[in-house]
Amino acid sequence: MLLEIGQLTKVYRTGTKANDGISLAIGEGEVFGLLGHNGAGKTTLVNQVVGLLRPTSGTIRIDGRDMVADPGLARRLCSFQAQAQVPIDGLTPRQAIDLLGQLRGSSRMEVELRRERLVEALDLGEWLDVDASRLSGGVKRLVAFAMAAVAPGRLVMLDEPTNDVDPVRRRLLWRQVRTLADHGAAVLLVTHNVIEAERSVDRLAILDEGRVIAEGTPAELKARLGAALRLELVLDPDAADVPVSPFGQSAVPVGNRLMVGVPMDAAGPAVAWAESLKCAGSVEEFTLGPATLEDVYVALVGGAEAVPAQAAEVFDANAA
Amino acid sequence: MQMLRSYRLLVTWQALRKKNYLPLMMAVQTLFSLGIVLGYPLLFPTLDRTSIYLIATGAPAISMISVGLVALPQTVGEQKTEGSLAYMRSLPVPRLAYLVADLTVWLAIVIPGVVLGVLVGAWRFGLDLQVSPLVVPAVLMVALTSTCVGYAIASLLPYMLTVIITQAIVVFVFMFSPLTFLPDKLPAWLEAIHRLLPVQAMGEVTRGTLAPNEFGLPLGAFVTLAVWCILGFGVTYAAMSRRG
Repeated sequence: MLLEIGQLTKVYRTGTKANDGISLAIGEGEVFGLLGHNGAGKTTLVNQVVGLLRPTSGTIRIDGRDMVADPGLARRLCSFQAQAQVPIDGLTPRQAIDLLGQLRGSSRMEVELRRERLVEALDLGEWLDVDASRLSGGVKRLVAFAMAAVAPGRLVMLDEPTNDVDPVRRRLLWRQVRTLADHGAAVLLVTHNVIEAERSVDRLAILDEGRVIAEGTPAELKARLGAALRLELVLDPDAADVPVSPFGQSAVPVGNRLMVGVPMDAAGPAVAWAESLKCAGSVEEFTLGPATLEDVYVALVGGAEAVPAQAAEVFDANAA
Repeated sequence: MQMLRSYRLLVTWQALRKKNYLPLMMAVQTLFSLGIVLGYPLLFPTLDRTSIYLIATGAPAISMISVGLVALPQTVGEQKTEGSLAYMRSLPVPRLAYLVADLTVWLAIVIPGVVLGVLVGAWRFGLDLQVSPLVVPAVLMVALTSTCVGYAIASLLPYMLTVIITQAIVVFVFMFSPLTFLPDKLPAWLEAIHRLLPVQAMGEVTRGTLAPNEFGLPLGAFVTLAVWCILGFGVTYAAMSRRG
């Protein structure tokens, strides 16, 4: 494995434990997703890998070498797209991408060649020579990605790379993320966009309150959910009771919706049950579809704001 | 080699980032100088020869201090808050190269304002300044010290505190620092404090090299500046290298 994180713990001076015994391993050519709510400890983790924060305890190794002891080496081995916007106002995307590529040690010719490919692949041509102070947040984010990808390190860490990016260019960006991995980089992708992550990552870990609470491929995690289908009920706000699922699967309230796990052979009865709830007026509308990674995520942490204990219990019961 | 390459690329980056603000900075500095050389005679209609020289040579010193100890810490504080300083720290470049590159660009911002300040003062009072060649190292020393100390303030303190402290510095430098008057006008306790702080030394080396015929050039002031410069740089470098 290229990146190996062992029992990583970070306690800030305020006493906040942002990472609590995290262990992860990411291989070359792999896109690894790190999912979690705001404040789950994702950014703290990547900031330790790139040497901006010192771990309280635990190990970070890239290619077997100790990154905690040598943060300078960590910065050379990692390309990093931070969550904050890049400080490039006053520069054009061309200047910013070229400067970053050269700062990472590539020659001017190599950088120009690679920049041309990236700009074309991300459809950034029309903004190439526009002052970044006049660019939208989404275009700046794409430029930041190009800066991280123009001379990629062996580990590429992308912290919320698609924020503010339009749907068409998001697809282009995901393609480039995959290309980075295909060329041998290990990609650590931090996001709270579960739907996009499901399509883009090879493996993922879900972080909650600084701990890894689930890890595996999207398929493995969905299998743990134990339900092939997901019935989404939009509850009537005036209804007195939340419907009780007859399917023995997870049922997680999220806001005014109830996510009900349904076995594959119970699709017909599920629709009939939902129809009856609609007729009775306790449900406004419903949808039945295949279970997604989002359902796994919601079962684990998504209902945290509404009913944290219940959400976790439901998932555990089904996993067991 | 990597140090030089990084330095060159980072100077380009930082200069491009600040290019939009350069005219504004120069305008503010010139306004400082203009305000002093045009405003003081309104307050004090009869100025003696020494006071005139003090005002004309104090104005460029104040403009350097206003950038180094006020504009710079506020800008760096903002960069800390918005996360852009952390981004620059995540780049694979030596910390020293980044810091020296940024200081270089700040020096480039400071110097034009100094020249403008001197010219405005000499023009307003009709002075024939016999400038010493030592003015070059003196001005560089003053500019470097004020930028290093300013950087240290922003590195050590939270942004809001930086803003408050720099506002206090403005009042302290304008009203209670011996830049446009001699230190013996101050109460003894404040005079003693100023012997330790860098501001008085900044005024002394600036006027001592801009008008050597009027003022002596106390070597002790250079030593004071050197100590503050090293202190400011050291604190900043340590803060830049520190992992939270």
